[in-house]
Amino acid sequence: MNVIEAEHLYKTFRVRQKEKGMKGSLKAVFHPQTEEIHAVNNVSFSAQEGEMLAFIGPNGAGKSTTIKMLTGILYPDGGNVEVLGIDPTKKRKALSYQIGTVFGQKEQLWTHLTPYDNFRFFGAIYDIGTNEIEARIRMLSDTFDLGAFLNTPVRNLSLGQRIRCEIVASLIHRPKVLFLDEPTIGLDPVVKENIRSLIKQMNREMHTTIFLTSHDIGDIEKLCKRIIIVNSGRIVLDDSMEHLKYHYLNKKILEIKLREETALPQVKGITILKQKGSHIKLEVDTAVIEMKEALRNIDIEHVEDINISNVPLENIIMEIYRAENVTAGGNASK
Amino acid sequence: MNARVTMRTNINKTAAIKNQLKVCILSVKYNIMREMLNRVTFLTNIIFMMLNNAAFLIQWNILFHLKKNIGGYTIREVMLLWALSASSYGLAHLLFARVFSLHELIINGKLDSYLVQPKNVLLSIMTSATKTSSIGDLLYGLGIVCIFCFSFRNLLLFLLFTVTGATILTAYALLMGSLSFWFVRADMVGSHLVDSMVNFSTYPDGIFKGAVKFVLYLIIPTGMSIYLPVHIMVNFHMGRLLIVLGFMLLLLTAAVFTFYRGLRRYSSSNLTAARL
Amino acid sequence: MRKYAVIYRSILMENLQYAINTAMGFITYFMIIFIFMQLWNYMYSSPADLIAGYSRQQMIWYVMITEIIWFSARTATVTRQAATDIKDGNIAYLMNKPYHYTLYIMAKYTGEWSIRLPIYAAFSALAGVIMVGPLPDFHPITFLAAIPSILLGITINGVFKLCISLISFWIEDSNPFQWLYDKLILVIGTLFPVEIFPQALQPFLKLTPIYTVCYGPAKLLVDFQTDKLLEILPAQLLYLGLGIILMFFLYGKGVKKLYVNGG
Repeated sequence: MNVIEAEHLYKTFRVRQKEKGMKGSLKAVFHPQTEEIHAVNNVSFSAQEGEMLAFIGPNGAGKSTTIKMLTGILYPDGGNVEVLGIDPTKKRKALSYQIGTVFGQKEQLWTHLTPYDNFRFFGAIYDIGTNEIEARIRMLSDTFDLGAFLNTPVRNLSLGQRIRCEIVASLIHRPKVLFLDEPTIGLDPVVKENIRSLIKQMNREMHTTIFLTSHDIGDIEKLCKRIIIVNSGRIVLDDSMEHLKYHYLNKKILEIKLREETALPQVKGITILKQKGSHIKLEVDTAVIEMKEALRNIDIEHVEDINISNVPLENIIMEIYRAENVTAGGNASK
Repeated sequence: MNARVTMRTNINKTAAIKNQLKVCILSVKYNIMREMLNRVTFLTNIIFMMLNNAAFLIQWNILFHLKKNIGGYTIREVMLLWALSASSYGLAHLLFARVFSLHELIINGKLDSYLVQPKNVLLSIMTSATKTSSIGDLLYGLGIVCIFCFSFRNLLLFLLFTVTGATILTAYALLMGSLSFWFVRADMVGSHLVDSMVNFSTYPDGIFKGAVKFVLYLIIPTGMSIYLPVHIMVNFHMGRLLIVLGFMLLLLTAAVFTFYRGLRRYSSSNLTAARL
Repeated sequence: MRKYAVIYRSILMENLQYAINTAMGFITYFMIIFIFMQLWNYMYSSPADLIAGYSRQQMIWYVMITEIIWFSARTATVTRQAATDIKDGNIAYLMNKPYHYTLYIMAKYTGEWSIRLPIYAAFSALAGVIMVGPLPDFHPITFLAAIPSILLGITINGVFKLCISLISFWIEDSNPFQWLYDKLILVIGTLFPVEIFPQALQPFLKLTPIYTVCYGPAKLLVDFQTDKLLEILPAQLLYLGLGIILMFFLYGKGVKKLYVNGG
């Protein structure tokens, strides 16, 4: 069953402009200039129940705008949205009982209260009875290991603990879909890992569908099976993680250390990335030349050490962004 | 069968209203608790606001020294006027401080977090902040009334008019703030008009004449929130009391209606870049 | 000194963006002036009356001028911003920049009021001439002579407000003290001239800095006397000097405390 269904979404914003210098300032007073930005430009996708979906793209690609349209905060200029069979533009309130949202580190918790009091407050917001809320707090605190600081005011918690609580608070009403907008932004690696395992656990144990936006490749690599890349308001890639890796990973990095400095023969499909004395770093395009063929070109007798690795996902995604920008630029100049 | 269904929805409705009220009360309570975290700051805010208001006693002492009767008011009526202005301002800012900065939320696109909650958006926004010093205003007003013009009847009327005055002020601020949904500059005009409503409320209406009076009762409703109530307290008049209550309901309805119309625009518009 | 001029210029440019907002601020100004016009119209039973030596027109012009000063100087820079910088520890970053924090704030403040002052002055001159009639005995020469006193008055106000904000090094919330300062300025010297107070109080009032912020400049514009000018200007310079010394002193002490306690 599809829990998220988005068809041909559009959203345009107008932004004020100012030219440089004193003259520009004066001009802006009398003739404010605006420029149109197509924040979301014909975006369609769907997500199934229990899926963990990563929605990524550079700054201003339209990630947050899309989340806002899915949760009913913004109405699309064009297209259709349905979340859990509900149209967010028409029944925002009904939908809000069934979804959860965490917007980056924008605090929704009262910092002077304890997590327990906060959860009680959210219980009241979602019309959960007193007995029921007690049971849920106990359950959540056991599952996500909050027991140690459940009764410490939020302002005295570490950042990691606070974000844990922030995310758990959005689970109090057992949402079927959880929207996470940059949940790990600005966190240290340990806390990031901690939050990621929390999200994974949530998906596994509560079967929550997770829609995640992030800049952090680690989030996506470790959490999501499916990835949607947006750039300049358009979807440039919607694929499974495995498929993405398989497709874009036809390039391998080959690092070798030779016993003595030797020149390598020029072969099609092999590019030398770096050579420093007897250390050589090569990129092998396996679409052009098979790995065993490539290895044949190396004098195995002289190899001291060898290391074959994939191109990092980060580089792949950066390449996708870049390729998209080139075509977008080309279109604009027409 | 049908009757039963209606009864059930009625019960559900009462439960929903009860829940809504519970959330509002919790919000206000938590707001005040947050302010009380630093006790010294909390108390200085309250006490200094009372001193701040008391500074105007000097102004009125001097003015009444020049003339015994200003716009039909003696010092006693001016005290009553000041008390009601302070306490209704105090009550409005204690409970609904956020309404007075609503335009900032709208222009910066900060209504989002209220929109994803299943509770009434307007009430959630209204009760999401408080102003500590407003407790000082409220206490100052009550204190002045008890010291200068105490009677049981006066106190009851005073409490009633504190509530109506606070409601009119809040509704007016809500109406003006909601204009920001349509006009970017509206926040400027709107908040200046709200400020003016407060400014007018500490001067006797007798000094204004003609068209200005009309403005003060309808466009900047200080007349309805403060002047008329003061007249009623000096000289009770049932009809006038009903006018105040009727005006309050009318303004409140208009303000709530405007807010929701604006909210629809907020979600469908494409005005602000900040929301990217 | 050049860098403060550049700070000033960029603030000026930034604020030009909001020139329309400033103009709209005139609504509140106008409402307040309007209240005072009505009040003084009521207080003066006949146009020939004098109250504390002021005619009705002079009295209203007096309030208009003090309110111009008041509104031009009203900005969060010397109050909320400075206090927040200190409280949130932001100052630790600003401190290490190659400028003096207090002078940076003052340059910013100056950038802000120097846009508002001419706008308010022009608006209120127009409103005043239409609604109360021209200022009696107005001379361009005395007007020019009073200008330095206005600029000094606004600057003194900024220095003292910044001093109050600097208390934030020691206390959580300096705002209540700002209110009290504001109310003293308002009641003594803004709403009406000090001559209106009982004779016995006047020497004390003249000793306060309040006297040099609003009363001095407004008095010189409304009722120019050379000996008044010679009395007010030195008093202003004295208070400006004292204020700046206090400002540097508080800042120095505060920063030292910050170094010891680590923010």
